[in-house]
Amino acid sequence: MRTIFYILLSLFVFPIVSANTIYVGVGHPIKKIKQAIALAKDGDTIIVNSGIYKEGNIVIDKKIVFLGKNFPILDGQKRYEVLSVKADSVLVQGIKVIRSSFATLEDPCGIKVYNKTFVRIFDNYLQDNFFGIYLQNSTNCIIKGNTIIAFGKEEQLIGNGIHCWKSDNLQIVANNVRGHRDGIYFEFVTNSVIWRNISEKNIRYGLHFMFSNDDSYISNLFKNNGAGVAVMFSKSLKMFNNTFEENWGDSAYGLLLKEISDGYIFNNHFIKNTAAIYMEGTSRIKMEKNVFESNGWAIKVQASCMDNELVSNNFLGNTFDISTNGSLVLNTFNSNYWDKYEGYDLDKNGTGDVPYHPLSLFAVLTEKNPSSMLLFRSFMITLLDKSEKVLPSITPDNFIDNTPLMKSLPL
Amino acid sequence: MKKIEFVIVLLLGLISCGSNEPKPIKLNVDSCDFCKMTISNSIFASELITEKGRVYKFDDASCMIKYAKSNSNITYKSFYVNDYTTQNKMILVEKCFFLKDGTISAPMGGNIAAFSNNQDRKVFQEKLKAQPLTWDEIYNLY
Repeated sequence: MRTIFYILLSLFVFPIVSANTIYVGVGHPIKKIKQAIALAKDGDTIIVNSGIYKEGNIVIDKKIVFLGKNFPILDGQKRYEVLSVKADSVLVQGIKVIRSSFATLEDPCGIKVYNKTFVRIFDNYLQDNFFGIYLQNSTNCIIKGNTIIAFGKEEQLIGNGIHCWKSDNLQIVANNVRGHRDGIYFEFVTNSVIWRNISEKNIRYGLHFMFSNDDSYISNLFKNNGAGVAVMFSKSLKMFNNTFEENWGDSAYGLLLKEISDGYIFNNHFIKNTAAIYMEGTSRIKMEKNVFESNGWAIKVQASCMDNELVSNNFLGNTFDISTNGSLVLNTFNSNYWDKYEGYDLDKNGTGDVPYHPLSLFAVLTEKNPSSMLLFRSFMITLLDKSEKVLPSITPDNFIDNTPLMKSLPL
Repeated sequence: MKKIEFVIVLLLGLISCGSNEPKPIKLNVDSCDFCKMTISNSIFASELITEKGRVYKFDDASCMIKYAKSNSNITYKSFYVNDYTTQNKMILVEKCFFLKDGTISAPMGGNIAAFSNNQDRKVFQEKLKAQPLTWDEIYNLY
């Protein structure tokens, strides 16, 4: 009986006893982070006091908790990758990581995780790094509450804010990314979630998916990025409650969908983009309860898209609601609110009695010949547009919403 | 006298029209004519020049090949790819030495690196654990 008691006791007590806390910095015997990591064992905690630490590349190769007190500054002096995580279950919290090296062929980072699991990167501040946080071949990791700022410019090489490659089961939560190439970049990442991040003023995309399946991004804000958000070559993505705002430019889109299938786009807001959604090679996507407001084009559907369904969306104050480059209609539009709808509702059931043609003649003309935009809102064009609505000749006549709503949806 | 000046200006203008030189890539401004992505790294970029002198830009050599194959009604004059070792230095594909895959990571997964001489290729072949290929072999992959 007694031996069992001791065994049980040892199970509870020893892990607690063996975990040490090592302090680094002013007022403590250990002044260097590298020294502290060398002394640490698995399960230990290192607390780094505020100050500037210029120790080159710091490698965490033990299962430790790595904490900063009052944001100690780890400076890469533009010569080193700053923090490399090469152990499982590491927690990095409260560190300010600045000035990683800059290279074209390698990808130096502020914080990089190498082929590990259960790593957590919380509440750090990263500034002026080539790549911000980089997860390579890692699973079950959480990146939460980090602020990642770089000062990239056009015509200049820079890395991504949060870059994830060949990973699985990630959580990217409540980060703030600014001034990188892509705010958040996913390549070959599966079963992951991107939630409540703010990605703005990045040079290329706010969020960029490549070859990543079964992920979702929820309640994020993408604002003022060079070319919006790009979701490419991916399957089964869910996009909920996001805001896409102010992505202006010749090849800028609120959301660029290319070669993707089986997605669900629900309750997003697209406000003031050149083109809110551009779709190419997209199939079996359902778009429901989204708001398209004050965009140049609400949706540009290329002829290569099929079996997409648009239901219960609000189209408000867009220059063009829909534009397409083909005459084949393989997508359905149902029960949307179109502010340009001029029909009537005699039976008062809330849906218009005549179908709505969202594709205007002029949208087709500008698609074929962009310079005809000069004539927009001229008398003749308005006249042609009206006659086209009554008797479709250039626009496909089955490109219609049969049940357009009379009132906008409260979204 | 004025006439001569005018003719010279006109001639210069005409010469610049039929340019066969590749154009420099404007990073983060130009977008790929095939995949629509903004070009953000010129070491993987490529350019296609048509018989008429129009230049198409791509972010990945695989995009260029796919574009050329899907738009076979256009007659192409020359294909250019960027030197892996130098930003914004276009070379004719016939004069290139290629490596593929290994740890090369191009924006659209083409993973093709081009070098202007065989020495560079040998150096990087070991570094990148990549496979040497000819242009024809690469062209026929897509």
